[in-house]
Amino acid sequence: MKNKKLLIGLVTVLIFVVIMYLFQQLLMPKYMSGIVEGSLIEEYYKETTKHDVIFIGDCEVYENFSPITLWEKYGITSYIRGSAQQLIWQSYYLLEETLKFEKPKIVVFNVLSMEYNEPQKEAYNRMTLDGMKLSITKLKAIKASMMEDESLIDYLLPIFRYHSRWSELTEEDFKYLFKKDKLFSNGYYMRADVKAAGTVPAGKKLPDYQFGSNDYYYLDKMVKLCRDNNIQLVLIKAPALYPYWYEQWDSQMEQYAKANNLMYINFLKLTDKTGIDYNKDTYDGGLHLNVTGAEKLSDYFGNILKTSYGLEDRRNDEKLKTVYQGKVDFYNNMKESQYKEIQAYGYLKRFSNINQ
Amino acid sequence: MKKLSLLLILLVLILSGCGKSQDTINVSADPKTHGFIFEVNGISIAMNEKAAPIIEKLGKPKAYFEADSCAFQGKEKTYTYNGFELHTYEKDKTDYTLSIIFLDDSVTTKEGITLSSSLSDVKKAYGDKFKQDKGLYTYELDKSKLSFLIENDEVTSVEYKAGDGSK
Repeated sequence: MKNKKLLIGLVTVLIFVVIMYLFQQLLMPKYMSGIVEGSLIEEYYKETTKHDVIFIGDCEVYENFSPITLWEKYGITSYIRGSAQQLIWQSYYLLEETLKFEKPKIVVFNVLSMEYNEPQKEAYNRMTLDGMKLSITKLKAIKASMMEDESLIDYLLPIFRYHSRWSELTEEDFKYLFKKDKLFSNGYYMRADVKAAGTVPAGKKLPDYQFGSNDYYYLDKMVKLCRDNNIQLVLIKAPALYPYWYEQWDSQMEQYAKANNLMYINFLKLTDKTGIDYNKDTYDGGLHLNVTGAEKLSDYFGNILKTSYGLEDRRNDEKLKTVYQGKVDFYNNMKESQYKEIQAYGYLKRFSNINQ
Repeated sequence: MKKLSLLLILLVLILSGCGKSQDTINVSADPKTHGFIFEVNGISIAMNEKAAPIIEKLGKPKAYFEADSCAFQGKEKTYTYNGFELHTYEKDKTDYTLSIIFLDDSVTTKEGITLSSSLSDVKKAYGDKFKQDKGLYTYELDKSKLSFLIENDEVTSVEYKAGDGSK
């Protein structure tokens, strides 16, 4: 009798947990259309092969570098673990998590996020943290990222955060309840459209150009983590014309790189060498590169990685060759479909609801 | 059965109960028109105010720039006029005034402060109730801020900015 009661109790709890899980899965945003950037982080877990280069950082990595170009031109395997407004502590913990799965030879970190010394916005936090697998690293990332009015439990059990979405559910929420489509090429978010850069406002005067102590704390940790794992850390500033990158910020990064024996490349100063044409190679007026710009930048950067760090050309590896053929096909199909759409409508219709 | 019913009731409570609603992800409160007012050519501009009528009155800007923030968390627009920049933010497909930044001394605050004014001019005009950090003197009024960057006893930057309720 006692055992029967216990069994009924256990089954009841189990049913409750399963129902809760299903509701949570249903209510969480799917990021399959519109703001697709929310899907970037979790797509990494579907990777079946390891990478020699891992990029970490904000949109200046996931919109400006093409891992497929690195593969096709140099046989470099790479993945971009980028997310929208990824803050430096999030980059650090994403790297810590990545090292549980693989040990890359090079980690590339985009330094724009040094401008933020504190958490900025919950919506961005969500786009980075909700996609991470549950782990101690994720817990640390959440604690470092939370705004004052946020709570840990809302991240661990997102149903508490998203419960009110029940009235906004769409067909997409049911369609992608258990499985999501692949949207990115090794973490690269492709845009094939063109919007030339015009006049970009100069940066406003700041009371203090010194990066914050929290930024440097995590940058130091990143350096140490890479050293401990025998990984070369490369600091970059992507060639985005806006937000404004101050000369004083650039000097700090140059000095930091020198003091820590790191490579630092500010691509804004290398436009002649990368060949980026801001009339053709950007889709949003110079904030992010389009696919032609990303390919030019990746070609130039790939050569630096190859010559400076002697990365092996993996194009003769049979397993990788097969895997990457699938990735190249996906990339080319995506590119072709975007160009066809531009030809048909004059713009990328699939992004029109968020950009027009 | 009774236990399962109780747990289902609990689930319903979770789904309909406490916590923040989804729409608070982007903006925390409705924009309100309060605080410091900037006046130029007889046009008054407050922060968190609908931008369209103001921009219409101001006429064609010398320069215009717009930027989609990462993952489209709103479009930021910058209108450059003689002497100042007007920045806007977007909420529910409507633009609101976010900030005004002085570009030269051809414009002044309503209380007569401009670039190159002294710190004592600022204090005389706005009083001693300010927050100071690294030479940035910030006054708050309702849901707006007015900041003066002071270098060598001289105002080198003036900015009106929307406070809580903006982006």
